Parts: sequence; structure tokens; C-alpha cells
Amino acid sequence: MNCNILIVDDSATTRAVIKRTIRLAGLTDGQIYEVDSGRAGLEMLGCVRIDLVLADLHMPLMNGEEMARQALANPTTSDIPIIVISAEPNIARLQQLVDAGVKGFLRKPFTPEQLRDCVGRTLEVCHG
Amino acid sequence: MTEVVNISDAKATADPVVTLATYSLGSCIGLSLYDPVNKVGGMLHFQLPTSTMDADRARQVPLMFADTGMAWLLQEMEALGALKRRMQVKLAGAAQMLNDASTFNIGRRNHAAIRKLLWQHGMLIAAEHVGGSLPRNLYLNVSSGGVTMKIANEVFTL
Repeated sequence: MNCNILIVDDSATTRAVIKRTIRLAGLTDGQIYEVDSGRAGLEMLGCVRIDLVLADLHMPLMNGEEMARQALANPTTSDIPIIVISAEPNIARLQQLVDAGVKGFLRKPFTPEQLRDCVGRTLEVCHG
Repeated sequence: MTEVVNISDAKATADPVVTLATYSLGSCIGLSLYDPVNKVGGMLHFQLPTSTMDADRARQVPLMFADTGMAWLLQEMEALGALKRRMQVKLAGAAQMLNDASTFNIGRRNHAAIRKLLWQHGMLIAAEHVGGSLPRNLYLNVSSGGVTMKIANEVFTL
């Protein structure tokens, strides 16, 4: 599969774990982009073709929730699936995001296998 | 033909008539590796998480420990033509057979240790069945790569 994936997380370690897992699992041969804030994520969505966004919630500059809301409200980016990856303990907040159009969420801490399965399912559903 | 992998033991083979089997996995872990292209299979039954716990013992019985055991198994399988990046990883065990105080949570520590080692080697787990308090048997059919596990007289495909 040749999907471009955008990782939005202010932790370089988490971004590295996500990127390595995606590569090890062979989920895509496309590009994997990384940014450290919601604002940079939105800028990236406006610049390059992205097929899937993996976004943290708690970030400086712009949090993942605001980024997701703006991306979903923009007709040019509203079709791009977003998965929230967060330690957010409030399930209701996560569920609100899903209700608003986010494809799903993965709670931190996660295992590489949980991430592989979550991303794999989403790519399959969204891109056949 | 069944080849038994004993406790603190490992075997690697490309013989398609062989089924590797290991029995009585309690807090130990049975690790099954399989390269589906060259049809090379391997199995390790280790007891303890790290060789640094007892360096002398690790020299005598390297297959007792996750780190030295896995290193040995990978080396043997690669010598038979297997590639690490192609290997299907499945594991079972890590039960808590006694109370915490008497086992120092060895099952959980074994599980954490093998997960860490696999990550370091760039290998993701395809399937696992761990925890609980019942012993397990693990089988790898080298011809098909199929892995089954027996627990409480029930057999599951991993």
C-alpha cells in the first residue's frame, strides 16, 4: 500500500515508535511525515497528499482536538481519516471526537501490535 | 514427526515433516519463529527474562534466558536460510503459577523481556496467548507454519 501518513505528536520518542512500527508492519511504502504540533499538522495537510493522520491530543501551539476539528471542517481535508493516539483518560472526550468524525482512537501506552492493528484496520476500511 | 523442545531448550529446523512442540509452559514462554518463504521454523522454551540475572548459569545454559536463548535461535534459523524480517512471531506462556511473592512475577517479567527483545530486533508479534494461571503446550508445524496452543485440554490456533 502506498499511503502517505502524517504523525502529529510533540514527543519525538512517540513519533519514532509509531514510525518504526508502521515500517516494521509493512503498512505502507509511502511517505511518513512527522510534525510536533496541531498547527504544523494543519500546514502539512495543506501542502502534501496525506492519506492518514495519527494525532496526539495534548500538544503545544495547537492541540490535536482543535487540529482534528479544523481538518474535518475543511472540505479539502475532511475525508482524510484521523486516528487519535493519546493518554487522555476521559473516554467521553475521545468519544466526542469520534462522534465529530475522527475514525478512532488508541490509548497510550500502546503496544506496537495494537498500533499495527488499529492503523491496518483503518487503512483497509478507507482505502480498500 | 514431533520434536520436543524441552525446558531451557530450543530447536531450529527446515524439515517439513517436523512439528516442534514444547510442553508445560507455566511462567516460562514458548517462542515460535517461522520464515514462510524458506519454511524454516524455530522454537525456544525459556524460563527467565535476562542472562544478567546469573552470568555463570547463562554460560552453562544459555537457552534458559530470553536474551541468550533468542540470540541462539535466531542464529540457528539464519544459518538455515531464514530471514529475521520475514519471521512470523508467536508466543505463549507467562502464566502466574504461584503467588507473586514466591515467583517474583516471573511470568510478567518474561513477557516484558521478550517483547523488548523483539522490538530491539524489529520483530512484531503476530499472535500471543499469555497470562492466566494455567499451563500451556505450544506446537509449530514446520510445513505449514501453523501454530497451535493447548490449554486446559482445549486447542487454539494462534
